[in-house]
Amino acid sequence: MMKLLVLAVVVSMGAVGFAAEPPPGATTCSGCHGPSFMPVNGRASADLSSGMEAFRSGERPSTVMGRLMKGFSPAEIQAIAVWIAEQK
Amino acid sequence: MLGRRSVLAMPFLARAAFAQAAARVLVIGGGFGGASAARALRRTDPNVDVTLVESSPVFTSCPFSNEVIVGLREIGQQRFGYQGITAAGIHMVQGTAVSVDPPTRRVTLNDGSVLGYDRLILSPGIDIAYDALPGYSEAAAEVLPHAWKAGDQTLLLRRQLEAMPDGGSVVISAPANPFRCPPGPYERASLIAYYLKTNKPKSKLLLLDAKDTFSKQKLFMSAWAKLYPGLLEWVSLSDGGKVVRVDASTRSFETEFGSHKADVGNVIPPQRAGRIAVVAGVTDKTGWCPIDPVSFESRLVPGIHVIGDAAVAGAMPKSAFAANAQAKACALAVVRMLGGAAPVEPRLVNTCYSLVAPDYGISVAGVYRPVNGLLTDIEGAGGTSPIDAPPETRALEAEYANAWFKTLTSDVFA
Amino acid sequence: MARVLINIPKEARKGEVIEIKVLISHPMESGQRRTDSGQVIPRKIINKFVCTWNGDEVLSVDLFPAIAANPFLSFFAVADVSGTISMTWVDDDGATQTELASITVT
Repeated sequence: MMKLLVLAVVVSMGAVGFAAEPPPGATTCSGCHGPSFMPVNGRASADLSSGMEAFRSGERPSTVMGRLMKGFSPAEIQAIAVWIAEQK
Repeated sequence: MLGRRSVLAMPFLARAAFAQAAARVLVIGGGFGGASAARALRRTDPNVDVTLVESSPVFTSCPFSNEVIVGLREIGQQRFGYQGITAAGIHMVQGTAVSVDPPTRRVTLNDGSVLGYDRLILSPGIDIAYDALPGYSEAAAEVLPHAWKAGDQTLLLRRQLEAMPDGGSVVISAPANPFRCPPGPYERASLIAYYLKTNKPKSKLLLLDAKDTFSKQKLFMSAWAKLYPGLLEWVSLSDGGKVVRVDASTRSFETEFGSHKADVGNVIPPQRAGRIAVVAGVTDKTGWCPIDPVSFESRLVPGIHVIGDAAVAGAMPKSAFAANAQAKACALAVVRMLGGAAPVEPRLVNTCYSLVAPDYGISVAGVYRPVNGLLTDIEGAGGTSPIDAPPETRALEAEYANAWFKTLTSDVFA
Repeated sequence: MARVLINIPKEARKGEVIEIKVLISHPMESGQRRTDSGQVIPRKIINKFVCTWNGDEVLSVDLFPAIAANPFLSFFAVADVSGTISMTWVDDDGATQTELASITVT
C-alpha cells in the first residue's frame, strides 16, 4: 500500500500543467462517463477507487460497472482513480 | 528546455526528433475510431501535427440508427459535424484517400493532393462485400436496403416499413461472422418487431441467419418470446437460415432449402475492411486487417496502424465503443513510438447496449488485454446483463444506452 | 431422430445434372471435449452417409470427428430415371435414419 501511494504522488506531480500518460484502461472511462452522465473527472481519487472497488466486489450493485471492474486489479483501479481525479 | 511534455509521458530521446519539425500523424476515416484517434493524439501530445481525412462533411452514426428506422429517432439526431475536431487543432481535409505509398509514407487523395506522414492511422470502417452474396449489388440495395451504413439507406428502410400495409412480411438476413456490430441485426429485428406490433400487428418478421449463435442470444430470445411471440421468427443456420442468393426484382431471399418473398427486405450483407485498407496492403485474405494488439500497428505494413471495425481485434467486437477505446490506446502508442519509445500494453474495454424495445435495454461488456498477439477476454470480467433481471433493470439499461450515446458522441465530436 | 432439411428437385429432364442438398441437425460430438468438471464427453457422430437412386449408389461418405455440428452435404447427380432417392446415415450408437424423396425424370 505504501508503494502505491508513492507511485500515486509521482504520477500526479507529473500531471501538473500537462497530461500525464494515462494508466492502462483509464481512457475508456470517458466512453460512458461525461459531463452530463455520471461525471467522474476531477473527483477525489479515494472516492473513485473505493467506488470502483465496491463495484468490483459486488458490494455496490450495478449494471455494467461490476462486470468491467472484475477485469482490473486493485493496483490498476488505484492508478486509474488517481489519473481520473486529475482530469478536467 | 524541458518542453511542454511531461518527463514521465515522454522519454528524453523524443525531444531531438521534435526539435526540427512536428511529427505528422495522418488519420484516415472520421468515424468513431478515426475522430477519437485524432483527438486523443492532440490530447496526448499537443505538438503532434494531426490531419484527419474524411470524405463526408458530416458524420452519420450507426449506433442508434435502428431507432431511426422504426421512427423512434430522427436522422438529424445521428448527425455530427467536424467543427469540434477542427477546434481541437486538427486539420480536417475533406476528401477520399485513393492510394498509400508506405516506402515514401505518402497518401494521395481523390483530388490528386498528396499528404505525407510519419505514422498513418487507418480507421476506414467497413465496405459492403457485394460480390460475396449473389444477386446483391449497389442497385439491389436500392430495393433491398442494407442500412448497415447510416444515412440514406437508413431512411430508405424506414420509408419502406412505413409504406408496407398491415399484414405484410418483413425479411431480414444476417451474415456470418465477422461483421460490424454483432448484436445489431438482433436489435434491428427487435425494434422492427416492436414497430410492427405497435403499428401493423398482423405483419410478420422473418430473420434468416447464417449463424447458429449470436451476441446476447439468450437475452434477445427470452425477450422475443415474451414481447413478440408469433411475430418474430428466427431461422438459424442449422434450420436452413443461411441466405445464398437474393433477387431484388421479386424481393426474395433464397436459402439452400427454400425461398422467402418479402414485402420489405433488409439484407445485412457480408462485409470487409474499407477500400483504403485493401489499397494500403494491410488486409489479409480474410478481407480484414491483422494488427499488433499493443500498438495497433499493421502486421503487414510498418508505419500504418489500423483501428475500429476494419481491424482484427481478437475478442473485441466491431463496435463504436471498441473503436473509441482502440483509438485512444493507439494514439498513446503512436505518440510513444514517434518518440522512439516502446508502446505500453493497453487494457481495453467494450460496452455495448441493445434495445429490445424502447424501455427494454440489454448490454454486453468485456475487458481485454493482449495475450499471444491477440486481444483476449479477461476471464471473470465482462459478460451480459442477467437473464432474470426485473423490468426496472431493463428500463435502467435502456436509459443508460441513451446516455452512453450522448456521452460518446460528445466525447468524439463536441 | 435428427431433424433434417432436404432440397431435391421434384422434376428433372433426362441427363440433367441436379443438386442434392441435405442438412442434418446433429451435435457431431468429437470425443475430444471435456465438461467443466474435466470428464470427457463421449464421441457421438454420424459416421456413415449413403445416397442411392432406385437402389444404385450415388454417394457414400465416411464422416470423421473433425466435421462440424449440423453437417450440410451438397452433391450432384445425373438424372436418369424416375424413382426414389434414398439417404441413410448411421450414428456412432448404431442408430440409422433414412429419408426418401421422389423425382420424376422426363
